[in-house]
Amino acid sequence: MESSSSQSNEPEPIVVVEEKQRDIDITTSTEPGSDITWRRTTGSDQDMDLPSSPSSSGYAGEGGGSTSATTGSLIEIEHDEIEEEQQLRIQNQIDEISITDSNSSWIPGKRHQNEDDGSISWRKRKKHFFILSNSGKPIYSRYGDEHKLAGFSATLQAIVSFVENEGDSVKWVRAGKHQVVFLVKGPIYLVCISSTEEPYESLRGQLELIYGQMLVILTRSVNRCFEKNPKFDMTPLLGGTDAVFSSLIHSFSWNPATFLHAYTCLPLSYATRQAAGAVLQDIADSGVLFATLMCRHKVISLVGAQKASLHPDDMLLLANFVMSSESFRMSESFSPICLPRYNPSAFLYAYIHYFDADTYLMLLTTNSDAFYHLKDCRIRIETVLLKSHVLSEVQRSLLDGGMHVEDLPPIPQPGVSHLGQHMLPSDSPERFKEANHSIGGPAGLWHFIYRSIYLDQYVSSEFSSSISTRQQQKRLYRAYQKLFASMHDKGIGPHKTQFRRDENYVLLCWVTQDFELYAAFDPLADKALAIKTCNRVCQWIKDVENEIFLLGASPFSW
Amino acid sequence: MGLSSNSNESIQLCIFDLRRGQHEGQELDKILFFFPSGLPFSKQLSVIGLSEGLITFTRIFSPEAACDSIEAERHSHVFHEPEPDIWMVMVVEKSNDSEPIWREDALRKVLKEIHSLFVMFHGSVRAMLEKEPGGGLVRRHLYSFIMDYLRACIKRSPWDDFCCDFLVGKKFLLPSFRDCLRERGTAQMLTINREAAIEVQSLVRVLESSAVNTPCHSLVLFQDLLVSTTLSPDDTINLFTYAVLRLTPRALSSGTSSWSYLRKGNIASNVVAETNVSSQNSMSESFYGSSDISHGDDNNYHVVRPLQSDKWSKGKDGYLVTDLWGAEVGTWVFATPTVLLQQTGERMYLCAYQHRSLTLMLLIPISSIPNGEQGVSAVKQQVLENASLKILKIEEKLSKGWGGENAYHVSGYRYLLVDGDRSASRASPATKVTTLAKESLLAMNKLRQEVELEKSRAKLEDHCCEKDLEVCIRAKNNAWVISRVTRGKELYMVLEKANETLLYASDAVEKFSNRYCDGTFSLD
Repeated sequence: MESSSSQSNEPEPIVVVEEKQRDIDITTSTEPGSDITWRRTTGSDQDMDLPSSPSSSGYAGEGGGSTSATTGSLIEIEHDEIEEEQQLRIQNQIDEISITDSNSSWIPGKRHQNEDDGSISWRKRKKHFFILSNSGKPIYSRYGDEHKLAGFSATLQAIVSFVENEGDSVKWVRAGKHQVVFLVKGPIYLVCISSTEEPYESLRGQLELIYGQMLVILTRSVNRCFEKNPKFDMTPLLGGTDAVFSSLIHSFSWNPATFLHAYTCLPLSYATRQAAGAVLQDIADSGVLFATLMCRHKVISLVGAQKASLHPDDMLLLANFVMSSESFRMSESFSPICLPRYNPSAFLYAYIHYFDADTYLMLLTTNSDAFYHLKDCRIRIETVLLKSHVLSEVQRSLLDGGMHVEDLPPIPQPGVSHLGQHMLPSDSPERFKEANHSIGGPAGLWHFIYRSIYLDQYVSSEFSSSISTRQQQKRLYRAYQKLFASMHDKGIGPHKTQFRRDENYVLLCWVTQDFELYAAFDPLADKALAIKTCNRVCQWIKDVENEIFLLGASPFSW
Repeated sequence: MGLSSNSNESIQLCIFDLRRGQHEGQELDKILFFFPSGLPFSKQLSVIGLSEGLITFTRIFSPEAACDSIEAERHSHVFHEPEPDIWMVMVVEKSNDSEPIWREDALRKVLKEIHSLFVMFHGSVRAMLEKEPGGGLVRRHLYSFIMDYLRACIKRSPWDDFCCDFLVGKKFLLPSFRDCLRERGTAQMLTINREAAIEVQSLVRVLESSAVNTPCHSLVLFQDLLVSTTLSPDDTINLFTYAVLRLTPRALSSGTSSWSYLRKGNIASNVVAETNVSSQNSMSESFYGSSDISHGDDNNYHVVRPLQSDKWSKGKDGYLVTDLWGAEVGTWVFATPTVLLQQTGERMYLCAYQHRSLTLMLLIPISSIPNGEQGVSAVKQQVLENASLKILKIEEKLSKGWGGENAYHVSGYRYLLVDGDRSASRASPATKVTTLAKESLLAMNKLRQEVELEKSRAKLEDHCCEKDLEVCIRAKNNAWVISRVTRGKELYMVLEKANETLLYASDAVEKFSNRYCDGTFSLD
């Protein structure tokens, strides 16, 4: 990292985080005329000029976001939804390149910087996100230049405060296919304007995550700045973090963790995961709050200190923060971060190290002096991981992928009937084979997601060839999202079962005390066969749960 | 359940014209109607200001479909633009549990119904504004019309015999989740056998040729059910709605029947609430011309109030009479009501004839009768001569075949069947629907809301083929809540006792569809 070495030589570094209070001291954070707007370093390593000196978290001020915005200009078409059919053709071409992992080919960063609310193209974007202050100052906009959107921000603020003056608070506004969703968090207003047909509950959940992502970077103590000065301009504090937000927003359309509130594990043999868990457990006893070994957004193993529990949303936000900031990949880093569900008003310190392009270790502590200790821990962990071939197993798992619907074991287990359906005559084996003709799994099964309630984990199958393009995958996720919202209605939910057939899919959802199953079939799928297939999926998952879930190995959650 | 008990705020309803009052100091000009009328103008303008602001704001992104609704923590705002730049907005306060218990679409249908009935009797709002740009004329008409409508709303509801608690201390009976198996803006049809159908056909033909040179239209009702119509679906719904509100035997008798003490009590308290409010601000009273007096002489304009209650009665000759339209100049003959047909834009005389349970509405083009009331009574006389025997026979036949209030009950099922093409619906009788658990009704209400949203989105896509959808939900209380939408027809169903599997529930739908819907909702 370029800036970090020069920075560590500076006699008076900009210390934003006061070690003891772990609070933001805003007055020292902005330096007029400096292009470095928000940089945090840890006090402990300032004076030591060691060759192996860790980099500060340099995600800010380096223009990482802006460079990727320019290099990403070709691929961004894949990502941006604009209401024009012509783009579909180009999109499909790019989709073919990006089938393997929806996350890997996408480059985060700000798009369409030159647009504002006067541009037709800006108005036609399918999904806008805004963060603004309660005085109407823009803080973040997914598209367009925040500064040019000052007038627009003021309008959003006016709507919120108009309704507030009536002693009420606005939740959403609907107009044709568009929905405007508001979320007020103290002095921070979050707004989504979307024509994606996602339900209100989902969009609101996404705004909550965006707010959470902001807290990961700043903690809730930023509120105090607004108490002192209502006209406070927050944009410099978030300078350079465009990539973090844009990649989070991108994940709303491919990562089911964003609405399931659960995390997912990389499939590994039980022994391999045990080996990883054991070494993490060792170091967790030495003052580490959480130790997490991740592969992209999937957990390899996770260990927490006694009684500390890591919320799946925090994991999502943390992983997004780490993966979207290029600098973490360059060298080991030690960075203050906040886990909003754990404690929204305090910073923790994260030691982050990538073992290879995909696999990284995160060690979280409350101690800001722990860098060298954590570095030692990492070296110990790395040695064990190499010796027990965990890292190579991880690479192999990445290549193999997860559960393929085509591999669904053919013989249904007798006596297991989760969906509790009695068998109809139509359920004869002959008919079953007939229905198997289409692409995908048996009975036209295209995809499924299984969420274990006690484990806070989910497993999502690989997409069958019927859902190969990004467009199709995104549509399916949104259908799941809608189903999830419908099943978990705040007032009357959760429902127990739902069968839904439209022109795109047959969807089956089944919620019990132990798990939730979401399955997508060919729209022409036979109902009885679909139900039977769901039962088989549940059995299959039971059979392989050792490999796809992280099972009670750690006391991190209960 | 129901609306919040601090009833003064529970509902606001306003109509405004975006083309008026665009200059500072003239804002009041845009308000055409506001309920409650006694609300200070500043408050009225604030409701309209928010609405106007959001209409403008949403047009940035959605120029073709501006603001439909606002959902806030404590209120729901529902928008409807019935004529270009004429907006109706209803603001409803939520009860404490903050989840809305109504469907947005059901509320919007109230607004639609108000407007289309208004147009049927008075013509469009815009036309009236053009006739008298000051706005006084349209304000007076809207005020008396909508106030009469809201009162009628209370009286009409078949729920009030069953849900007494629903009315206590409440002002207006809005459609709630308990109405989720009903559909406003549709006609309920009587199913008749072939033989009866042929006789009705021949009666309709006789009625059609009642006037000398132009064909007449007719609507035939049995009880509160539609038997036949020669009008377009929209016009049919308007006249059907009016008939059920004011003309059918049930509507005629409701004013005097003894069991209606609840209704009366409620209306009384309702009127009290209104006068209380309006006395606070006599300014606004004169603004809307809201004087509750019946077409008094102190008014320059004679405001016809077609929805005023207890104004229709049955005459000796079987025709229904009313003084609502005043009397012909210089005579004691009551003027015959006139209505405007939406489809043709033609104004028609409305003559209603009643024999026992049979109500017959005859619509004669005004243009075909040169000599006014005299001509109308000649036609009426002629209809009696030509058709009274047929009417007698048909009434007898339909009465014999009529299965009573529960004729369309299907045991084990609670359902609503909507035929969108014909604007007709059929549903389980209200008495049966009330046996459902609240959870089941809420689940159905929610499902309908989801389906309506999908339908409205499909409508906005220009390439839309008709929505085809099947949803079966097993709710928390084990009830099956089912919706099927196919080829313009919709079926909603609650099965509480089907304590079985998804396949069992699907089977039940299949059986129902084959038996009662000509297999419309059956697979294959």
